[in-house]
Amino acid sequence: MDKLLYDAVVLGGGLAGLMSAHEIASAGYKVAVISKVFPTRSHSSSAEGGIAAYVRGNSDPNDNPDYMTYDTVKGGDYLVDQDAAELLSQKSGEIVEIMERWGTLFNRQPDGRVALRYFGGQTYPRTRFVGDKTGMALLHTLFERVSGLSVDFYSEWFAVDLVLDEKRVAGVLAMEMKSMEPVLFKAKAVVLATGGMGMLYAHTTNAYINTGDGYSMALRAGAALKDPEFVQFHPTALYPSDILISEAARGEGGILKNNKGERFMTRYAPKKLDLAPRDIVSRSITIEIREGRGFPGGYVGLDLTHLGESYIKERLALAYEAAMSFAGVDATKEPIPVRPAQHYYMGGVDVDITGKNSDLQGLFAAGEVACVSVHGANRLGSNSLLETLVFGRETGRAVVEYLRKHEESSSTTLEKEAEKLLDDAYTFVKSESGVHFGEILNKLRQVMWDDVGIFRNEDLLKTALSEVEKLRAQVKSMYVTDKSKTYNTEFFNALELRNMMDLAVIIAKSALTRTESRGAHYRTDYPERDDKNWLKHTLAYLKGNQVEIGFKPVTMTRWQPEARVY
Amino acid sequence: MESQAEQREIIVKVRRYNQEKGEYWQEYKLLVDRFTQMTEVLRRIKSEQDPTLAYRASCHMAVCGSCAMKINGEPRLACKTLALDLVKKYDSNQITVEPMDYFKVQKDLIVDMDDFYTRMFKVKPRLYPSKEVTEGNGEHRLRPEDQRELWKFAQCIWCGLCVSSCPAVRIDQDFLGPAAHAKGYRFLADPRDTIYDERLKILADSAWRCTYCYQCFNVCPRDVEPVTTIKKTRAHTRFLKEKTEVVKTGEKHVKAIFDSIRETGKLEEAKVYITTYGLAEAIRDMFYTMRNGKVNLALIREKKVTQIDQIQKLMGEDE
Repeated sequence: MDKLLYDAVVLGGGLAGLMSAHEIASAGYKVAVISKVFPTRSHSSSAEGGIAAYVRGNSDPNDNPDYMTYDTVKGGDYLVDQDAAELLSQKSGEIVEIMERWGTLFNRQPDGRVALRYFGGQTYPRTRFVGDKTGMALLHTLFERVSGLSVDFYSEWFAVDLVLDEKRVAGVLAMEMKSMEPVLFKAKAVVLATGGMGMLYAHTTNAYINTGDGYSMALRAGAALKDPEFVQFHPTALYPSDILISEAARGEGGILKNNKGERFMTRYAPKKLDLAPRDIVSRSITIEIREGRGFPGGYVGLDLTHLGESYIKERLALAYEAAMSFAGVDATKEPIPVRPAQHYYMGGVDVDITGKNSDLQGLFAAGEVACVSVHGANRLGSNSLLETLVFGRETGRAVVEYLRKHEESSSTTLEKEAEKLLDDAYTFVKSESGVHFGEILNKLRQVMWDDVGIFRNEDLLKTALSEVEKLRAQVKSMYVTDKSKTYNTEFFNALELRNMMDLAVIIAKSALTRTESRGAHYRTDYPERDDKNWLKHTLAYLKGNQVEIGFKPVTMTRWQPEARVY
Repeated sequence: MESQAEQREIIVKVRRYNQEKGEYWQEYKLLVDRFTQMTEVLRRIKSEQDPTLAYRASCHMAVCGSCAMKINGEPRLACKTLALDLVKKYDSNQITVEPMDYFKVQKDLIVDMDDFYTRMFKVKPRLYPSKEVTEGNGEHRLRPEDQRELWKFAQCIWCGLCVSSCPAVRIDQDFLGPAAHAKGYRFLADPRDTIYDERLKILADSAWRCTYCYQCFNVCPRDVEPVTTIKKTRAHTRFLKEKTEVVKTGEKHVKAIFDSIRETGKLEEAKVYITTYGLAEAIRDMFYTMRNGKVNLALIREKKVTQIDQIQKLMGEDE
């Protein structure tokens, strides 16, 4: 097997990965970015509505970073580590200023300063945006910036597993998709920035590539996932193709209506109405549909018509375009058909506020794959783009510190280790007959949607767990029909499915364990939040076929839990 | 809107390729409704019928630029194409899917994009802000109208469709191609940038190599209008310090057209040609034209334009 030597390897070329790589390369270290897609194809590009930031001198005069932290903590139903949320707020302005400096074409106020708008759960408006393609604009800016530094990009390379030297990460096994050649990337530090896992669910706004690879690589290497039961469902995915209709649509004044034309959010969130946090709005829509006040097929209407054609076309171009192209609806004339769909994963690889994991030395994570605990039980809109950049940068800086203090692993068995991981990857797909990935995948996505979804209870979760375990066993007898030696995407789909299975079992088990309702985790059999027993983080490990659950306290600095009313 | 979507059977014919088997066509049948995107068609073929089919797809909402391919012969993003729209447009339930033109096919619908990326990096695709701003001693202001104008051209998603369908790219190695021009112009025109002269040097010569065929304008899934940025870049060449032969010829050509219309109210092709390329070259090309039996076209006599003064008035005084 070929070997390549780096100081650090970043897995993933989205915003978090690129920002980490930027910091590492700027400090003079040799860094590789490995991504299964060309960086600008990463899911960061799909983020629409904006990036939250308190910018000194360019925010609401009554606003300050404390309000922003408070909104984030309350939005996350108090499962947020408050030191992390404070850091997020304090660095938000600086991050937006940096991206502007590097060329991002933020929408402007008449005086030329960066414009802002309201997003769900915000006391004051702080979302900065580029139309409703903010993620795409930021991703291109950052990729273009980093492509000018000395960073080696390995695009369309698939990371198979982390390579360990005892309790230390010493590299990554990856395969070039074009040649199918495996390579051992030796590195002192590895940053996971592999993004989310929406493909676990039958309905998701996520890209096809979001198969949760990083979570499972970390789990197999022995690292914990934190709060894996918390899955966000976005209230307004376009019916039926599940394309995201940005929260900006409601931020700009869009109104949700049921089949009677009622603004039903008045019943569920009398003050914040349509701009209540996502978990609340998603449940409200689902109740409306279940109680027969939805439209046939299962959706409600998102009415923008009162905003006027020119306003819609400029500020909500993508929503307008998506409704027109993919549902045949003219949003300037009639409501957009929407329903909830999986959108974001609050859980992730357990890291501290510098992006460092404590189970494995040399392991870092940033962005959606990480759980810094800045979103807690429910992420606020426009905090995810912010997180990728703020914590991508913090993580990159922590890696630099780490590289200064640590030597390369002296293990002589890394290659043998990598060979073994490669054999594992081949073994589980080398049978000559059996099931192929598609059959298992479709079943998995349906089980997760039906039983580990917006409303959960013990029966559903038990069914889900046993179903997922069954499917996970089937994966071992999976086979790959394609034998070709270039872009064998069937082989990679199979590896992705193995990753999805390792994660699915963790999510189902953690959701069954948490007997309360908090944020996006809603149990109909335990409908109340239970701070006495459950104001704590879940830590889940995968030990072979067993899921081991532990807990750790939530970091609280200034805000004690209070009732979450909007 | 209709809620219960009616299902229809379609036949998808895919032009496939791998090193082992070479090129071949394969057919798949499946049921779709009026919401089914071509990316979903491909995903369902791969997960339900034939896992060996290879293609790229990611965001399914036309922002990542992965799924560029040829569908019924048209360069398109698969995600931005609804199967039944094609059935309706072509009045046939058979849909052909092929890899993009121009780029080398690697496997099935996956092509080698390296040529495209190289073009993009040639134009220094990043902002070079002033030292004052990078050091945090100043802030950029940008007028809302400038933001709007630049953002239109900054929305390129690097899908490659324009390059795959550009005829100039195929015959002229020195032409950067439409996408790179859009990217280059987006920074050339950005008031926050500081390397205008260098950018103009990279872009100007290439800009005059475009044939204005408008294919890029037609195929761009984000309406970036690369050809518009090429036109706008040409308008900047008057600020170019060292003009290449291509630029000089281009400028002469534009002036010849202007003068021709001003003098006669018409585009006198032959005269414009001589003024642009000089008598010697024009005569040489004339022989070429004769050999190919096209000479009659160059000698068509046209009617005189009356009221030429009206045209001249519209065009204003001499420059």
